[in-house]
Amino acid sequence: MKIPALRHLILTILPIALVACGGATKSAPTANAPGSVEDKKVSLFCWSEYIPQSIIDDFSKETGINVSVENYSSNEEMLSKLLAGGGKYDLIQPSEYTVEALVKDGQLLPLSPAALSNLSNIAPEFRSMSFDPGNKFSVPFMAGFVGICVNTDKVKTPIQGFRDIFTPEHKGRIVIVDDAREIVSWAFGESKIEINDITTENLAKIKPLLKKWLPFVKVYDSDSPKTSLKNGDVDLGVVWSGEAARLYDENKKFTFLLPQEGAHLFVDNMAIPKNATHPQNAHLFINYLLRAEISKRISDAFPYYNPNAAARKLLSPEQLANPASYPPAQDITRMQTFRDIGQQSAAVDELVTQIKAGGK
Amino acid sequence: MAGANWLNRGGRDLGSHRAGWKAWLLLGPLLLWLGLFVLLPTLLLVLTSFSQRDELGRVVYSFTLENYTRCFDPIWLSIFWNSILYAVIATVICVLVGYPAAYAIGRASPANRRILLTLVMIPFWTSFLIRTYAWISILSQEGLVNSLLLSSHILPAPLSMMYTPFAIVLGLVYNYLPFMILPIYTSVEKLDNSLIEAAYDLGAGPLRAFSSVIIPLTKPGIAAGALLVFVPAIAMYAITTLMGGGSNPTIGEVIQNQFTRARNQPFGAALGVLLMLLFLVCFLILGRKTNSDDRST
Repeated sequence: MKIPALRHLILTILPIALVACGGATKSAPTANAPGSVEDKKVSLFCWSEYIPQSIIDDFSKETGINVSVENYSSNEEMLSKLLAGGGKYDLIQPSEYTVEALVKDGQLLPLSPAALSNLSNIAPEFRSMSFDPGNKFSVPFMAGFVGICVNTDKVKTPIQGFRDIFTPEHKGRIVIVDDAREIVSWAFGESKIEINDITTENLAKIKPLLKKWLPFVKVYDSDSPKTSLKNGDVDLGVVWSGEAARLYDENKKFTFLLPQEGAHLFVDNMAIPKNATHPQNAHLFINYLLRAEISKRISDAFPYYNPNAAARKLLSPEQLANPASYPPAQDITRMQTFRDIGQQSAAVDELVTQIKAGGK
Repeated sequence: MAGANWLNRGGRDLGSHRAGWKAWLLLGPLLLWLGLFVLLPTLLLVLTSFSQRDELGRVVYSFTLENYTRCFDPIWLSIFWNSILYAVIATVICVLVGYPAAYAIGRASPANRRILLTLVMIPFWTSFLIRTYAWISILSQEGLVNSLLLSSHILPAPLSMMYTPFAIVLGLVYNYLPFMILPIYTSVEKLDNSLIEAAYDLGAGPLRAFSSVIIPLTKPGIAAGALLVFVPAIAMYAITTLMGGGSNPTIGEVIQNQFTRARNQPFGAALGVLLMLLFLVCFLILGRKTNSDDRST
């Protein structure tokens, strides 16, 4: 949803503008920008609640580059603005299936490896992933899962998977992310269907299951699913792992687990649109975020699964012990990731909206 | 309606008198504004609603009626119906709460009137989103109301108020009430006291005077208020998502979703066009009603 993103945008742009006014004079050109003739500007288009403002400020201070930020809260929102916006954005943060779609459509600028010396900080299993072999167009930023968050003060029965959550006794006590593709993938997991095998038949097959599950849900919230859990309005959630990790940090009664029906891995990446006007500055920014100590600060603020191995070494034992950030005993890289499904996303959205509205 | 009459007259002046261009000059900024920000976007919306889209959700301008045929699927109609219902309930509550308030303000002494009107407008000083977030912290299970009720032992268990139809209607009423009070207030203010006195002289009791004299005289205000509340309340999506939790989607939420997550702008545009037609119908019905009332008085 756009509104919190807008609020966030206002909150982020104001301080940047202030920094830009003060910081523009003491600029020091950086060494690794080849033949730099770009303006000292870079324009980010990134997820809300993902890059701490202090990091952006420090980047401006160090390089003299004026950073402007715009936020989005879904890949599709980013896609529609990017495709309409021409060369407005220099850096975007698409998730894995969106990288795939953008590459297929020739919308991304090939990265220049020479400008990304810190790429080696990324753990080997996160380099050259299936959606972008050889990291030609994208570099992993953060990864995570969608899993189950339980308020153990209120829920005493053991919860292991979706089938334990979506039960009559939990009616009106559940929050889930408002993301049709996600919701459908859970039912695919329960029905033992491959999560990317989105066909009309498979959607028809899982429809009865969703019709059983979704009436138990009280809140659909992708922006901040932790809010309703924290306020006690719901006791169980199927939420982004980073949100659950923050809840766990606040209160240990909020536990997190990966559903036994199977979870998938999402990887949010940094990429440069083909029409970017400041691609060199964008490279500088990507390389800056890949630094171990900078990436560690991102983890401090937004405790997702950090694919930056060098940064992970700097994390405290408590951070690494957070079950939502670093779930135990799972071979994370063997988890599946979403593939691009193109026009099928409309069918997926219609199915979920239909069931939400109580239709047949 | 008065504006439209004036516009017509201006047009006629252009033909018969030389001074006409001055009227157009004065109208210019408004016409430019309407053309750029109302007419053009509306045309774009209509154009998009007859178009198709590609894999990435870009609009492809080739003609299709599919978006409209899809609109008449029972799911979307039931969501339309749901949104209308919320808007009707909110409008009725706004009339019931707003009318007495507006009447009291209109009948108050001029000094008090100014204070009371300021009080009605004060909420506009804060963004409605911030006020909606405030409601979330008031109504949630561990929020203000529940903690007060629990700590004073009035209730044994917290009330579930957030993410219910109750919360949606409350959010709508809270945000749109001033839009009901202000137009009714203007009609009440214009109310001729001597007509009410005449009603009493002719033997009407307070109830009769209210129903046969005061209500008909303030009807234009009620109609304007109802329009100002009902129309935006149908399309509102921010309050309904934040306070309703999205489990009973409204048409505004569905349209927003088409433009973002579903990668289907043409379908969202088609729903938007239908919504506009619905508003047009409301406007014509209410407009005709007030006009005939004007004539009869």
